[in-house]
Amino acid sequence: MSETLKFHFTPVDSPKGGESNLHAKDSTAVADVIEALREQLPEAVTEVFAYAGEYTAFVRRDHLLEVCRALKEEFGFTYLTDLAGVDRFTDDAPRYEVYYSLVNIEAGRRIRLKVRLEEDDAVLPSVEGLFKAADWNERECYDMLGIRFDGHPDLRRMYMPEDFEYHPLRKEFPLLGIPGSLPLPPQVPEGKLTRDPFAAAHGMQPPKSYREPKSDNGT
Amino acid sequence: MTSANRDVFAFWPRHNEAVRRRVESKDAWLDSERNTVREASEDVLDHRMTLNIGPQHPATHGVLRCVVQLDGETIEKCVLDIGYLHRGVEKLAESKTYQEFMPYTDRMDYLAPYANNVAWCMAVEKLANIEVPERAEWIRMIMCELARISSHMLWLGVGLMDAGAVSVFLWTFQGREDLYAIFDEISGARFTVSHSRIGGLATDLSPRSVEMIKDFVTRYEEVVRGWQKLLNRNRIWIERNRNVGTVSADEAVALGLTGPNLRGSGVPYDIRIFEPYLKYDEVDFVIPLRDEGDCLARYHVRVEEMLESLSIIRQCLDRLPEGPIRTDDAKKAYPSKNETYYSMEGMIHTFMYTETGVTPPKGASAYHAIESPKGELGFYLESDGTGHPWRARINAPSFTNLQGLESMMEGHPVADVVVLIGSIDPVMGEADK
Repeated sequence: MSETLKFHFTPVDSPKGGESNLHAKDSTAVADVIEALREQLPEAVTEVFAYAGEYTAFVRRDHLLEVCRALKEEFGFTYLTDLAGVDRFTDDAPRYEVYYSLVNIEAGRRIRLKVRLEEDDAVLPSVEGLFKAADWNERECYDMLGIRFDGHPDLRRMYMPEDFEYHPLRKEFPLLGIPGSLPLPPQVPEGKLTRDPFAAAHGMQPPKSYREPKSDNGT
Repeated sequence: MTSANRDVFAFWPRHNEAVRRRVESKDAWLDSERNTVREASEDVLDHRMTLNIGPQHPATHGVLRCVVQLDGETIEKCVLDIGYLHRGVEKLAESKTYQEFMPYTDRMDYLAPYANNVAWCMAVEKLANIEVPERAEWIRMIMCELARISSHMLWLGVGLMDAGAVSVFLWTFQGREDLYAIFDEISGARFTVSHSRIGGLATDLSPRSVEMIKDFVTRYEEVVRGWQKLLNRNRIWIERNRNVGTVSADEAVALGLTGPNLRGSGVPYDIRIFEPYLKYDEVDFVIPLRDEGDCLARYHVRVEEMLESLSIIRQCLDRLPEGPIRTDDAKKAYPSKNETYYSMEGMIHTFMYTETGVTPPKGASAYHAIESPKGELGFYLESDGTGHPWRARINAPSFTNLQGLESMMEGHPVADVVVLIGSIDPVMGEADK
């Protein structure tokens, strides 16, 4: 019994009862849009998840562009507000998730699409051709999680320099960083390049930029 | 400089190489650039050159690096390089409790910290379904609008200083000083306030702070109108801004611009109306809109927003109800200081809340956005049932706005760069996360 005993501050509920959320917005109740989308593209949407009055449609990767085009051209979701990836890091299902948050400004609706990706095949078709706003978001997603976007015109890193070889938002990346992973300028003008962003954390003392006066006993 | 010394400054060789390659390979936006083949000219001013502006430059409002390819004085191509202030707060959030992360949001858009606090708290409240007392909502609204005025004041002062006028900068900073005094009175901190709490607020408004807000609201109506009087028909200001960085409504939506930049192009998208949060559906206000889509339109939108904010604050003060400022559920919000100091349960709950905090259900995910001074500021949270977020995604308005800046710059003379950056109003702390 003891190995199954887990302490939780509050009991863990299942994420149900999305409709009763105090902060739910009318704009995110888009069950009808997802239903219409399912009728039009029966293969594309695999699952619908609702929590806090927000509907998320899980889309197959092969149908992502079709779904986005249909949403943009037929349903009026022309405004892409957000695009980001999630590292699920579980055993049971694909590792990565990328979500797309689309807004229909005239009708006042907001829909979220999600695509799941296998770890060894983390490639998505780029929606940059449909939504120009996806450009930097896809670059950020590539930088942070290493998910590649096929057909992106300029898939460079967004925040980290190109010399950095890791994807920091992956769960296995240590919070403290990896020693020697990021070249930094020298700490004194004539010094060498610092190869370590967290020198002090790893027990290194940065060189002093000035000479300290000798103490009386000559040490 | 010796060659050995020069190598020292090329400490990110692959990064600089990638930026250079991008500038060369970028499909230029200007048609003239695409179609004409220019012969080599002897005139130096006619030459094509690549200029690196920033990241350390006062006009870039932080650490924004622009690499521009110039044809004489005209910008042909522009590549923005951001990330010089990247601190990885999304990664940090995964090892903090929900309440612990809130001070980090102060340091994102550091010109309107209160709006960020409220955005974070509301996202967590949505994720964990926490009720907020009415009085707290009204106070949050007042403070968010004060933060908006503070942010727009800085934008106005700095924007005018970029265009060459220093006096307005001093006036707006006087205004910001008054706002700092209010924040100081309410939260104990001038700048990084961290005053909002999950489930409510840290402290109630003192009578003196209400007086200060009232005083500010009555005095600054006239002050802002005075600035309008000075600038709305100011020849230099208009010439510097009109028809600079024009974005049509369709382009603005396609580029994903948010906030005043989007409304300056005539798109009526404001989260306060689109998805009313707090009590915005109970007060009267209009969203300033302009159709021109140039820097002047964005100026008008922001200044009029300041006046609207003043009117919203006035309505909030009139309707401010009495009551608790934090929800009375120790599993969801901190107990009051009285309970903590004078009851055993209160103390235990405070410790538990600091240690574990609120635990939203496993597998839950929620997105909550507010209209921050810069635009749509949203947090997407995913929970794994523990006290730490599994994923905290920040949808930062400055990031999306900067993306639009790249194409806005192309075709303008290099002298307009500072005006354009100012009119977009980016904050690098937020764009770089």
